[in-house]
Formats: sequence, C-alpha cells, structure tokens
Amino acid sequence: MKNQFDFIIIGAGGAGLAAAMYGARLGLKTLCLGFSHGSELPLGGVITTTNVVENYPGFIRLTGTEIADKIREHAQSYELVTLKEEKAIEVKQNGKEFHVKTENSNYIGKTILFATGTKWRKLDVPGSKEFENKGVAYCALCDSPLYKNKIVGVVGGSDAAAKDAMVIAEHAKKVYMIYRGEKIRPEPINYERIMANKKIEIINNTNVVEIKGKQFMEKVILDKPYKGSKELELQGLFIAIGHIIISDLAKAIGVKTNEKGEIIIDHKTAETNLPGVFAAGDVADKPFKQLITGVAEGCTAAFSAYEYISKNKLK
Amino acid sequence: MGVIIYGTSHCPWCHKTREFLKESKIKFKDINVEDNEKAKKDMIKKSGQLGVPVIDINGKIIVGFDESAIRKALKLK
Repeated sequence: MKNQFDFIIIGAGGAGLAAAMYGARLGLKTLCLGFSHGSELPLGGVITTTNVVENYPGFIRLTGTEIADKIREHAQSYELVTLKEEKAIEVKQNGKEFHVKTENSNYIGKTILFATGTKWRKLDVPGSKEFENKGVAYCALCDSPLYKNKIVGVVGGSDAAAKDAMVIAEHAKKVYMIYRGEKIRPEPINYERIMANKKIEIINNTNVVEIKGKQFMEKVILDKPYKGSKELELQGLFIAIGHIIISDLAKAIGVKTNEKGEIIIDHKTAETNLPGVFAAGDVADKPFKQLITGVAEGCTAAFSAYEYISKNKLK
Repeated sequence: MGVIIYGTSHCPWCHKTREFLKESKIKFKDINVEDNEKAKKDMIKKSGQLGVPVIDINGKIIVGFDESAIRKALKLK
C-alpha cells in the first residue's frame, strides 16, 4: 500500500535522516517527514545553522549545510526511503498501527520514531518582538554578515552562544557576550578561542531587560550597570538562550516526557514507554546533544524498530 | 522586475530558497549582501528589516523562505 510504511520518522534532521538510512538497510519501508516552511528548520535540521562542524568523525571541517546535505543524500540513496517535506500535525495509535496526518496526506506506520528536535527559545523582554529582524536575530550564520563593523551583543553563555559570538566577530567591530551566569560554559576548545578573540568581551551575571530603538534597535538595557551604565549601545543582538523541545505530538499519544519536555528513552534501544514508539536526537532525554549522538540514536532506533517488527511478526 | 534573492553565503534558508527556485525552473538574480553595501541598503529599503533571505518577486517582497507566499507570487501550483 502506497501510504503504509514499516517505519515512520517524524523529523528530518541528522537523527531522523540517519534512522531513515539505517531503516532502509534493515529492509524497512521507511517514511521520513521533514517540515520546511520558513519558521522551522530546513531538511537537515539544526546543524544547518552551524557555521563549522569539526566534531563529526571522518570530516575534519565542513559547514553545517554541507554535512546535512551529505546525510540527506545518503538516506535518499536507498529506494526504501521516502523523504517528504510535510509537517506532521497529528499522530494517533490504533492497535499496533500509528496513523500520521500531515497537511497534505495521511500515513500508517507499524513503528514510529520521534526525531522532532527543538526550536529556538525566544527572548521575552520589552522590544524583543518589536525589533526582531530589526537588530534582534536568532540565526548568527544567516544574519551576522549584515552587521559588518557594527557593535553587536549575544545573549547566552553556552557552546552554541560562543560559536555564534565567534561567527559574528568575523564581521562585527565588537561583540559582547551577555550571560546571566557566573561564567560562560562553552566546550574548552571554544572557551580558549573566545578568550583569545580580541573583539569579544564577556559580561557575566547580567540580563538584558529591554531593547530600545527607532526603526532598528539602538541599545539594550541591562539589569545591572556595566562599566557604570545600564545602557549598552548595540546595533544587533543575537539570541542564543537555548531551545524548546518539540514533543507535543509524542505527548498526545501518551509518550512519557521529563520536566523539560524531553522524551524519556531507554538509552540502549531508543525505545519510549510505548511499544513500537522510539525517539532520537535533540528531543530525547540526554545531557550531551550533538549531531554525532543524534545520528547514533537514530541508527539505534532503526535497529530497535526492526527488532520490534520481527518479534511481533508484523512483516 | 523579475525575481531577486538577497541573501548571505551560509544561510540555510537562502540555500533552500535558491534550490526551490531552481527546482521550479524560475530564473532569478542572486545577490549576496555580505560585502555589497549598496545591495544591503536596497534590501533594507525594500523590506524594512535586516533578516535574510529577502525575495523580491516583481515587486512583491517576501521575508524568509515562505514557500506558500513564494508559490502564490509566482503563480505556481
């Protein structure tokens, strides 16, 4: 049947595409659904917004888009893989079948993998919405070249925030990393790079509480003075304060999540609390989220789906 | 008139927009605003904002890869 699959994957980032590739290797008729309508991420997922990937074995240095394209091409090289740019809007369980509704169609799967990832957490202070794309930005890779020779801020202290600051510093005159905690917390290699970058200055223990300007943003208000003033003149402000887990579709069928909304999985099998339902990538509960770990979970989930189908004689 | 994309080198949505137009067999002018101040000013004047991509389809300005808006402006199915 055209719309019936052994393995349906919701999400076409690194984890979902790796699962599709491995599902096909195991003989599973596989559907991978990716959503690509502007407000979310293109096929390839969050790695496409990373400037340089240096931690994926076999590739010393690639851009995020390059590695995403390679993973997608690899998945699509298998005839058993169907990749569609459709947004899943509803998932229902009917006995041992999973019914997935998209904006365009309906599909039935014997097993299902949630690889739905995350979306950017938005800064919620006065002016943050008003000046979005008018100084306030979320994608450093996309928009930092527009801030050539400007003074720009980055809100956040994570590894992603540090990488954003370094990308922006390639273009901007000055970059302030504004972080609410005691000390920024990138990976040690990136911490050293930040410390060595003369354009980057760190403001710890500080929050941005308001963004002000006219047509475009002109300054931020801090919750405590920095060098004697709560006002800091900035022409741009990139937000890197983490991500929101996208697990609503999974929750709707009874998949258990933790307090962050991450799907709780058995880390040996990528199984959730529901038989035949798996999760992989940034949506799953794990402390270390990288392309390499998501890809591994995707492959593990594909193998577990294959075992589930075999044990239950569903094929 | 015609179709113009204002974008940057590594922006995934600019990449996606270019791919979409190529697949749809639409000819377009691809302008990289990274080192082109005049083009950047044109883009800001047209769109009133600083995000990329900006797509100018016969004067209709679309910010970001909004597939349905692009299809509508190009009268694609």
